[in-house]
Amino acid sequence: MRPSFFHHLHPPTIPAVQSRWRHTLGAGGTAILLMLILGVTGILEMFYYVPNPQEAALSVQTITYHVPFGGFVRNLHYWSAQLLLIVSAIHLLRVVFTASYGRPRRFNYLLGLGVFVLAILLDFTGYILRWDEGICYPLVTGTNLLKTIPLIGDFLFRIAVGGGEACNTALLRFYTWHIFGLTIFVLILGVWHAFRVRRDGGIAVPPPQLRTDNERISRNELVRREVLQIFVVSIVLILMSIFLPAPIAAAMTGKPIVTEEARAPWFFLWVQQMLKWGDPFLFGVLIPFAVLTLTALIPYILPEPADADIGSWFPKSNRLAQIIIIAIALIVIVLTLMMVLT
Amino acid sequence: MKKILTIASGLLLLTLAFAWWMSSRGPKPVELIPTLTGQPEYCITCHADVPDISPSHPTVTFGCVTCHGGERLALNADLAHSTMRGGANPSDLSVVEASCGGSNCHSGSEADDRNHIQRVMTSVQSTYAGAIANIRYTFGAQTDLNAHFGISAVTDDQTQTGITSLAPFDPASETNPSIQKFGEECLTCHLRAEPREGDAYARQTGCAACHSPAPPLSSGEGWGEGKIHTLTTAISYAQCNTCHNRGNYDLRSMTFVERDDHPTQRIDDYYQPIAQFTQCEYTLDCVDCHTRDEAMGDGDIHANQKSIEYVQCKTCHGTPTELPLTKTLTDPNDIAFRLAFLNPVVDLQLGDTIIVTEKGEPLWNTKVLRDGTYEMIGKATNQYFTFKPVMGSHCTQSGEDQSSSYCHECHAVERQP
Amino acid sequence: MTDLSRRDLLKLARDGFLYLSSALAIGGLLRFLDYDPNPKPKTEFDLGAASDFPLNSRTLLSDVPAVLLHTESGFSALSLTCTHLGCTVEEKTDGFTCPCHGSRFDKDGSVMHGPAVQHLASLRIEITNDDRLILHID
Repeated sequence: MRPSFFHHLHPPTIPAVQSRWRHTLGAGGTAILLMLILGVTGILEMFYYVPNPQEAALSVQTITYHVPFGGFVRNLHYWSAQLLLIVSAIHLLRVVFTASYGRPRRFNYLLGLGVFVLAILLDFTGYILRWDEGICYPLVTGTNLLKTIPLIGDFLFRIAVGGGEACNTALLRFYTWHIFGLTIFVLILGVWHAFRVRRDGGIAVPPPQLRTDNERISRNELVRREVLQIFVVSIVLILMSIFLPAPIAAAMTGKPIVTEEARAPWFFLWVQQMLKWGDPFLFGVLIPFAVLTLTALIPYILPEPADADIGSWFPKSNRLAQIIIIAIALIVIVLTLMMVLT
Repeated sequence: MKKILTIASGLLLLTLAFAWWMSSRGPKPVELIPTLTGQPEYCITCHADVPDISPSHPTVTFGCVTCHGGERLALNADLAHSTMRGGANPSDLSVVEASCGGSNCHSGSEADDRNHIQRVMTSVQSTYAGAIANIRYTFGAQTDLNAHFGISAVTDDQTQTGITSLAPFDPASETNPSIQKFGEECLTCHLRAEPREGDAYARQTGCAACHSPAPPLSSGEGWGEGKIHTLTTAISYAQCNTCHNRGNYDLRSMTFVERDDHPTQRIDDYYQPIAQFTQCEYTLDCVDCHTRDEAMGDGDIHANQKSIEYVQCKTCHGTPTELPLTKTLTDPNDIAFRLAFLNPVVDLQLGDTIIVTEKGEPLWNTKVLRDGTYEMIGKATNQYFTFKPVMGSHCTQSGEDQSSSYCHECHAVERQP
Repeated sequence: MTDLSRRDLLKLARDGFLYLSSALAIGGLLRFLDYDPNPKPKTEFDLGAASDFPLNSRTLLSDVPAVLLHTESGFSALSLTCTHLGCTVEEKTDGFTCPCHGSRFDKDGSVMHGPAVQHLASLRIEITNDDRLILHID
């Protein structure tokens, strides 16, 4: 079989250990697939979405209820975005738990983390684009958090919102950030990240002399496995999009609605829970930023995992990194649950 | 592996076909573009069976959203209904301005007689000012019977009655337990009040309380079977009865005792056993005699019902020494024509002579006949009545004492005990 | 001056020019994004005739948002914007509660429960010569 373009994106052969599903969980590849789906469905939505405060929510209703398959496309976009965050988090956990971030992959670890952060920002800006009555408070608090940053806070607020009152004016900026500003960065970082995987010697495994299994698979086999993963993920996504409609609410009137409790989107609930405790700059900016920095520094300040441990689950030589990342994940989950359950 | 891939691709095709099938199910959206707004709405996808609410408000002109609010594009019931104004009653006075108001509609200028909302807001049917003052006076919270409080705050700069504003009555700031009890038990009626829980009460505030006929109700029944989508000015006695004969209050326990029967005998089933009626008071409908100003207010804040209710027996029948006031219609823009147009039970013509009240309000369903007698058409029943003036009869009542209680002395009908 | 040092100097100058150019471009981009095209948020609200707000009345001004009080001591207004992160507080029987992070304030706007630290702001009310109320958000 003559290799196609898609085959040519892969090396002719790779060690079989690098492509085992129980080793990679297919998380990185799934993330790429989800991003592609997001790109395509996002462009489709742009044919009908109107980034204007008076019409935005109505155009979302038009997409959802009147455009043929519009609701389906929107659900695909929504669920791909939510799954992307989960898959990215799983990918990050996998990399730490299998000690796969050591030299020479330290920089690529940062690139991946950058893609993760951008994905969160994309999810938040996309959530705001619904421009329905539920998004006002998260928008107000989210952008007011920027203002609490000393010296550059007001400047960042204007960059993000354009000034004025967020619930009246932020839509156009968030639209541009979502469609273009953040997307172009995620594209650059994402392609760079994938490129660096190959440049750094493929998926992290011990050096050849320490490997017990020296079997190699052809790229045809690799592509088949990827295609299978694509099929499975697509089927799951399609079924979710059929049965679980993406949230939709009445158009925002420029004023928040009267409500007992306003909730942030699910991936920021942990921050909202902390904000209940006090100083917004500390709990809403410094601590999340510290969590991010700590995660980013794992390959740089902790001892390198032993060569033989690379690619095996929960090895001894990077226990500390595992503990740190488990602690972070647990704290985020517990905070989220506290917010959901109270 | 290749086999698995084939199976997986087959499954993918299946789920996609399923997605296609799922999105082509469900009702076809039905679009309505009301001429008034020009904005498409899809309410009739589900609500095709709702009739025009009145000849003056055809659905093709107004659509649904103009009055009811709601998300006009949504095809999901929860979302579509989520921003409806006032639920089953968009005319509730808390939202009436958005639903029925606007200078081209019912909050227009006083000169055009289109200030319905402003008048209703200040009327005693909304403010409950008289009863609140009376109770507060009785239990020592105020030293006079003047109106200081209403159910909500209202102001009137150009008042003719001397009352420029009413503060909102707040039972929580009262000290007397009876007044507090009154606040708990007795503020749920009246047009401005927050309606009681339950579908049966949803239409008993705002414009709908009078203009949207309700089935006779007792203890919350009556809504389910006959959802009614009607606005009318042919308001029957039964409509007034839903509030004015709903039960009786008990001043000792300061509670309202709702009646659990359906009053059918107008004369015998009235809630106050001591009330007296003459024949026309239980034969005609209330709106046949009582005027717009009395029911909806005249734009001024009044202290109590007495201050606004002024139509008496003599308005139609005159006194032994005077004939009732009449007016010959010469102006085609006379308000009488508009009222007769809205409820066309009579064919009113230029040159007709009708009875008018002492404030000049037309009783447009009456006519002075050539022989000096009068006719009246029932606004809700279309029944034809004729009657004679008191003048020339053997009635000897003095012209000074003409309130209805005097007429009741001779003309009241014996009620069953 | 040797060839080598001249080459170093040239390289240094070239790199320097490029870095400065980038700095200028980024600075320009940031200034570009920093412009606020929106009209300034309103700081003055004309509430209409003072007589519209009778003695002992409490009026919710949801546009501001604020609550206007008319007491024996005159007119006063309390901002309903939470001092923590700017959500609008909801009126409760014993005061105000913020729906976002649960701050509670008493009827006078003093903090009863965090995370907010500052009390709800009192807003300035101006009574004009023709007896109209103007609310200022400063």
